[in-house]
Amino acid sequence: MPHATTLIVILVLFSAALIGVLVARPGITATRGGKILAFLVLFFLPILCGAMGVSSEMDRSKTTAFCLSCHTMEPWGHSLHIDDPNHIPAAHFQNHRVAANEACYTCHTDYAMFGTLKVKLAGLRHVYIYYLGTPPAPEKIKLYEPYNNRECLHCHAGARSFEEGATHTADPATLPAIRANTLSCLSSGCHDVVHDIAHLKEAKLWKETK
Amino acid sequence: MENVALLEKRLQVAGTLLILGLVIEALCLLWAKPITFVLFVAVGGVLLFAGVAVYLYSVVSTPRS
Repeated sequence: MPHATTLIVILVLFSAALIGVLVARPGITATRGGKILAFLVLFFLPILCGAMGVSSEMDRSKTTAFCLSCHTMEPWGHSLHIDDPNHIPAAHFQNHRVAANEACYTCHTDYAMFGTLKVKLAGLRHVYIYYLGTPPAPEKIKLYEPYNNRECLHCHAGARSFEEGATHTADPATLPAIRANTLSCLSSGCHDVVHDIAHLKEAKLWKETK
Repeated sequence: MENVALLEKRLQVAGTLLILGLVIEALCLLWAKPITFVLFVAVGGVLLFAGVAVYLYSVVSTPRS
């Protein structure tokens, strides 16, 4: 557990203990000092704890380990270790083109206004389906919406390899079409090998050296 | 005297809700699982909100004795 989370847990338990004192002896709120204490303990500290906790939970929900903690997501996590540079998620993960500890979130968030909120709501839908619905088999999991080039361009736009790449510049219409999201980066013949779960068993996997 | 007892009773209710909410939040922070994220927000958050609301209500609604 990260140190920051440990400190928040300690603060939360300390606050609960102070509230416990107030619940056991409510008479102490009769004095001016008691009223100030009650305000701090029953208003300020719970809001502080709640805000810090939400911030911690939001950060943690972006981690690769968090996404892969659901059994259904295990094959998708394994696909990040496929030893094939044409496999887009694996190449990004293994070469740290995305932060390895936030690999899922970096590519699957929505880089638009309220994007983080949107993906958290989608995450709640995943949880609902996982616990109360019928989760599909891993190889049948699909995105709710087609993958938007915006997520790729968040990092690649402006990069020399993207702007001056031979394939991207061969036809002058290609780059504008990619930017307008009318030509998907994942189009057939382009970067089309993504999370190949169906062939995961036959794939050679990269072993991380630590 | 009755007002003081009423205020103290309401503060105890607020405190109990807050303790429950904080304990749930502390437990949820110990595990990094999607279900704990939901419990943190849906149960812990609601209890904290209710506790603070009861506290504020008790402060503004209890007449001075």
